[in-house]
This record gives sequence, structure tokens and C-alpha cells, in this order.
Amino acid sequence: MKAPDFSYFEAQNIEDAIKYKSEDDEAVILAGGQSLLPALNMRLSSPSCLIDISKINNLNEIKIEGDFINIGALATHSDVMNNDLVREKYPCLVDILKMVAHAAIRNKGTHGGSIAYGDPAAELPAFAVAMDAEIVLSGLSGQRIVNAKDFYLGLFETDLKSDEILTAIRYPFLSHNQHLIFDEVCRRHGDYAMAGLMAKVELDQSKINNLDLVYFATGDKPNVAQNTARLVIDNGYDYEKLKKSLASEIDFAGDLNSSSEMKLHLATILINKILNKLER
Amino acid sequence: MSAKNSVNISFSVNGENFDDVTVPTRQHLADYLRSQGLTGTHLGCEQGACGACTIEMDGVAVRSCLVLASQANGSSITTVEGFDDEVMQKVKNNFLKHNAFQCGFCSPGMLMTTKEIISSKKKLSRDEIRSEISGNYCRCTGYQSIVDAIEESINEIN
Repeated sequence: MKAPDFSYFEAQNIEDAIKYKSEDDEAVILAGGQSLLPALNMRLSSPSCLIDISKINNLNEIKIEGDFINIGALATHSDVMNNDLVREKYPCLVDILKMVAHAAIRNKGTHGGSIAYGDPAAELPAFAVAMDAEIVLSGLSGQRIVNAKDFYLGLFETDLKSDEILTAIRYPFLSHNQHLIFDEVCRRHGDYAMAGLMAKVELDQSKINNLDLVYFATGDKPNVAQNTARLVIDNGYDYEKLKKSLASEIDFAGDLNSSSEMKLHLATILINKILNKLER
Repeated sequence: MSAKNSVNISFSVNGENFDDVTVPTRQHLADYLRSQGLTGTHLGCEQGACGACTIEMDGVAVRSCLVLASQANGSSITTVEGFDDEVMQKVKNNFLKHNAFQCGFCSPGMLMTTKEIISSKKKLSRDEIRSEISGNYCRCTGYQSIVDAIEESINEIN
């Protein structure tokens, strides 16, 4: 349970960090370290160097930019939960973050770190996909913006290039008839979910006009269930039909917490839980 | 085990300055603190699940197994040994009174988490206390008495 050997570079600014990263393919960015350090302690990963960006100024700002709320990569989960703008514009994000680990971990773990790490069992990547978030990446040739839907490629695999660092996430505001509803099933509060669901619902009166279903802890990345969402809009909740649809749409991968069959079952009943929450 | 990579850092622990000390880059803060005789900080899982290594870094509770010693450069750290003011004496007395130190392994982490609860000045229900300490394992399963002790501490201090 001790990390392998690596060198350590404390970046003073984003340019230094980008330059260093572009010169060493095996180097890894260290922000809050709350996912990276367990992985190192368990020797699941052995980078040549950790580039510590946590001391870089102004990367933790949370501000409104046009129709977006812009969360700086280094804002910790606690920063985000306690931020007045987030509490006012995105109360659902505060509720989601309450499910992310425990207070002492939220004090150190960063928003950008969780998005960039791309753990398929984590809440934030699925939230970003459901919200149609824009992910801001800075590299040698400047800045580019990737839609969260295109950012996650596979298991812990993202569109981040070897010279790039994630610097911010931009969430568009929800309109008055849109709601982000989420639920998850986990063995202990704060643990990774056995299965979880982010649902963006657009209502016309009480009828569902549009629905996006994004699952986490089900497969290799945030899983979008488009056809199943269509079925829900057209026919409401029908366990057997939705289960069949989810099975054809998502490649469920079992883990230590739950088998793929159990995840499929949980993914199906989560739709019912979401619809019940919507009625309340 | 020797490490080929090391860095020099300066920080303070419980008010004592550690200037320009050399630490292996791969060493986490809990191991460094314990190597300096500060063995109040316990190590259970070394993956952030058990909470026994919780310390205070620049005023907030963190897991010292998930912070590298090198990341502590420039910071101010307080471990369970450093909490001995009037407030923490009351908390410790309440833990004793309710038999909330059973085998004692989780106690440093429980005390650090209680410190953060008390600092927040919130009046918490028993359910909320349970939620706050959900990141700390007690394998004696003495949660009932720990919640009793924290509840009485909140009522007494806040």
C-alpha cells in the first residue's frame, strides 16, 4: 500500500505545467490527488512524474460567463458546495456532491480532477455529460473546448491530449422547465455507487417533453441511454421493456460491488425512482 | 526502502516548524508524520476509506494518506497530538464518559472529524452526526457511543 517511486514537479503556472507535461508522456497531473493517490498506493498506476498544479493561482475561481457557470479546475468539492453562485443556480450540484466521498476528501478533491480522471463510477463525469457541459482544455497551441459527450472515450480514457491540462468546466444554465434529477444505489453513504443515474428532464406542464438519461457505475464511461429515454417518454415506466432496452444499449460491466446483471436491474429501477422524484 | 527521488520542504506541525526537511517524493504525509514520532495519526487502509489518518491542513480536515508529504510544503498542519485546548479537552472527556474510545484505533480520526463538526458551529441531529462521521470506520462498531459523545460535545460547546 505504498506508492511506487516517481519524481515531483511543483508547477507555478499553467504554462510551466503544460510544457513539462508535453515533454514527458508518462507524467501525470496532480491536483487534489483524492483518486490518483489511492491508485498510486494500490500500484494501479506508475507515472514517471507527478506535476503538482495545486499551487497555481486563480484556477479555482467559480464565476458566471454569459449563459454558463464556469468552475475552475482546482475548485474543491467543498468550494463548489459552499459557493453562493452554485447554491443559487445549481442546487442539484450541491446535492450530488454530498454523495461524493466524505467531508475530508471533499476538502481536497477537485472538480476538474474528477472530470479529467474519468472514473466511470464517479458522479461528476455523468453530471457533465447530462448537463451538456463544455470542458476547457489548455495545451501548447492554446485553448480548445470539448463537449462533455465527446470527452469520454472509454475506461479512464478521455480526449485529453498529452500536452493538455483541463483548466475549467462550463455548465449551461438550466431553463425554467428543465430539471436535473439524480439518484444512485450504494452500499455505504459516500462510497462509489453500484449504479447511478443523472436525468435531465424537460417538462411541458407535467408531461415529459425531452429526457436525457446518463448512467454512472454501469460501464466503461458515462453511459447515455437515448433509446430507453425515448421509451420512457412514449410509454412511461415498464420494467421489462426498459430493462430489455437498457441491455441492448449499454454494455454493463460488473465490478466488486455488483454484477452486470445486478447493475442492469438497478439501472432499470433507477428510472422509476427518478420518475417518482419528478412527481414530488 | 530508499527512493531515488526526494524534495526539500518546509511546513509546521502543531506549531513546530520543520524547515527544509528532505522527504521522498513517494512518501505520503501520514508516513512522514509517524516517522517523526507523531504516531497519533493512524493508518488503516491507505486508500482514503477508513478515516483513521484524518488531520487538519491549513484549517480543513484532510486524509493524510492521500496527501503527499511534498504537497505539504508551506502549509500548517495540526494532528491529534496538537489538539489539546479547552474545547478538545471537553470532547475527549465526553468520549471517555460515553466509552467512545473502545480499541482506540479510529479515535484520532473520530476526534479530528469531531473537531471539524464543532468548528462548523452547527447544531446537528443524530442522523446528521452519523452522516458527518460516515467517512470514519470504527471496526468495534462502537458508533452508538461515539454519536453519544459527539452529541453531548455539540450541546456542551456550541
